Amino acid sequence: MLFSSITFLYYFFPVVLILYFIVPKTLKNTVLLITSLVFYAWGEPKYVFLMVFSIICGYICGLLIEKFRGKPASKISLIASCVISLSMLCYFKYADFFITNFNTATGLSLPLLKLALPIGISFYTFQILSYTVDVYRGDVPAQRNPVDLAAYVTMFPQLIAGPIVRYSDVAKQLAERSHSIDKTACGIRRFICGLSKKIFIANVLGELAGLFLASRQQSVLYCWMYAAAYSLQIYFDFSGYSDMAVGLGKILGFDFMENFNYPYISSSITEFWRRWHISLGSWFRDYVYIPLGGNRVSKLKWFRNIFVVWMLTGFWHGADWNFIVWGLYFAFFLILEKLWLGKFLSKYKAIGHCYVLVAVMISFVIFGMPDFGLAFDCIKGMFGMNGLPLATAETFYYLRSYAVIFAIALIGATPLPKKLYTMAEKKFTAVTAIAEPVAIVILFLLATAYLVDGSFNPFLYFRF
Amino acid sequence: MKYNFKNTASVIGTGLTVAILSLCGIFGNKSDFSESERRVLAKLPDVSTETVFSGRFMSDFEDYALDHFPMRDTFRGIKSASVLGIFGQLETNGLYMQDGYLAKAETELSDEMLNHAAERFQYIHDTFLKDTETNVYFSIIPDKHYFLSQESGRLALDYNELVSEMRNKTEYMEYIDIFPLLSIEDYYRTDTHWRQEKITDVAAAIGSAMGINPDAEYATLELDKDFYGVYYGQLALPVEPDTLFYLNNSILDECTVKSYNTGVPVEKSMYDMEKAQGRDPYEMFLCGSDALVTIENPNATTNRELVVFRDSFGSSLIPLLVEEYSKITLVDIRYIQSSAIGSFVEFENQDVLFLYSTLILNNSLGMK
Repeated sequence: MLFSSITFLYYFFPVVLILYFIVPKTLKNTVLLITSLVFYAWGEPKYVFLMVFSIICGYICGLLIEKFRGKPASKISLIASCVISLSMLCYFKYADFFITNFNTATGLSLPLLKLALPIGISFYTFQILSYTVDVYRGDVPAQRNPVDLAAYVTMFPQLIAGPIVRYSDVAKQLAERSHSIDKTACGIRRFICGLSKKIFIANVLGELAGLFLASRQQSVLYCWMYAAAYSLQIYFDFSGYSDMAVGLGKILGFDFMENFNYPYISSSITEFWRRWHISLGSWFRDYVYIPLGGNRVSKLKWFRNIFVVWMLTGFWHGADWNFIVWGLYFAFFLILEKLWLGKFLSKYKAIGHCYVLVAVMISFVIFGMPDFGLAFDCIKGMFGMNGLPLATAETFYYLRSYAVIFAIALIGATPLPKKLYTMAEKKFTAVTAIAEPVAIVILFLLATAYLVDGSFNPFLYFRF
Repeated sequence: MKYNFKNTASVIGTGLTVAILSLCGIFGNKSDFSESERRVLAKLPDVSTETVFSGRFMSDFEDYALDHFPMRDTFRGIKSASVLGIFGQLETNGLYMQDGYLAKAETELSDEMLNHAAERFQYIHDTFLKDTETNVYFSIIPDKHYFLSQESGRLALDYNELVSEMRNKTEYMEYIDIFPLLSIEDYYRTDTHWRQEKITDVAAAIGSAMGINPDAEYATLELDKDFYGVYYGQLALPVEPDTLFYLNNSILDECTVKSYNTGVPVEKSMYDMEKAQGRDPYEMFLCGSDALVTIENPNATTNRELVVFRDSFGSSLIPLLVEEYSKITLVDIRYIQSSAIGSFVEFENQDVLFLYSTLILNNSLGMK
């Protein structure tokens, strides 16, 4: 089920809220678990059993790790948890990728499995892994209540597109969390902000990206427009989803970690990745990069660690070479910055901003294009290397048609609107006290209008 | 204190909005048909193990929830207005409003579609017309976007190329150019179609090219009902309705119109006043979208016959050609297989006219 759907907004969530707030505290996690399973089953009726199986394995492994702490059985339980979780992820997400490449390398023609990718498997697998690893490290005690653990993994606000909530971050909240009008209002604001990002900006820029792909009149300017539109689309889509997740979490009494922090204002790729998909970056840092030795090893091993982490980051996003290349592309820039470029960029911030924007736009062309050939054509087109005209009538037409959305997206990708609103809130407290609730309701109704008019409306990050 | 008010107001405002719309969605009156979109609305799906585990129940329920959302057309209108007004986009769902006219932006010329249309015409020619003494004509009707895009610089498909390609692919037909005779004022503001009372010059030009001289006098009659065209429903913007006019005279009154939709001839009228009061008043012209229709004219000045392969634009034009033909047969190959035409029409020495709009030629997959 999509957050940005009539079914979720006007049927599912109202029922969840009624059930959640009428049951006593002790049953809130049970309600959360049951409704989350319904939420997941709405889109994946069969794969819900796969997720339940993963949770049961994680639960048992967690208990065994704690029970045998200090003994080999504890480590074996951890390994078992990792093997089971990663095997399922590999089987459902990567099997066909490996078979295809094996066939190419050997000339054989093993049949593909052609399995549908279970929604959110990358997210919930990483959550279960973080839980068992944290229990093994002694950072958190094993969860004895299976309902609480299952509620953590399945919690619908963050189930299918993150942020990747660490068990250690919400363990206390699972047992005890507060609800208040202020927190609910904060959650509603955040949710509607995310919904607006998704519906008014990401979906619309997605249309432009689609028009470019279907166009027979491409041009240099159109290639740049595509790269900018897709980069902004993926940011507003994903950060919008994260905002909705954080907002829903607040309404239900949780405080999830922030997943984005204006990544497009970065002046280096290192900074960009501190601001983009923070929960994934920190997951790889804590569970892969640091265990590999991080930067406290020889230079060669350090670079190896960076390459391994970024190859896995790319691969996590999708079972295709373009995702791996996309990850390694960032590894290249990160190493470059650690060796030489970083100092230069810290001196010349303006150059740094331009460099980040261009590098990131190119990265998202690699990321988003259906195949390498098209990606390279588009990149060559951006630099006038494949004989495309500078601009065409179609380019100007769509530039004119999407100019307002582009302007809103560009300003919205910076902290400026938030700063201005904070200033206005301080200066005109009485006005904002009335204007804000009105604006929230208007935005919500306008988003509803878009949904009622629209049809299929998927989130980009679902396939991951 | 004020801060608390803001939060409380936000929670109550959003909560009430959701509650009211949810309850209206669940308990409000449900309609089976959307008048504005002219389509059947989704029904509440059945719950069963099979429908749930196949995911069909969920996807059908999503459709149902969308189709039966309270004040659906109002919300659709709000969306169109905000896309075109607030966000300054030039189209919404491929539609736009300019100078009071609602239109569809046809921006890409589809070689595949033109080839398909040309291939269907070629089939009809080779199968039924090739070895006969028929005179074959072809005319293309521009859609509204042709005129509106010229005025505003909107992106448009290359209409000259469309005509040129179709002419090259149908060299066995004599082309009749009607583009210069038309302007945007000849079309309804809220609908795709042209206005019958404005196309007598087009009928005269086509007739003249085919060797007849239609110059009958007509009474211009007004339909006693507002006409909300197809774009009105699709765009859902609050615009004034059109007034539908139709032309009549004693010759048309005395014609016999038969429809062969079921294979058996059923007598109908030149202007179906029942359909005029229905969902799409434009269907009043010559049985609307019936696959095969004949008009027999007892007052014809010649014994010539005409066969017209047409889309819905033809329905309002053909009555203006009736005068000199003793019989006109209208064929819509979107609703009848081309291969089946021979069972109903015997081709000998008739005039044959292929009359199609650019909209249909560029979206011709429906031609059978």
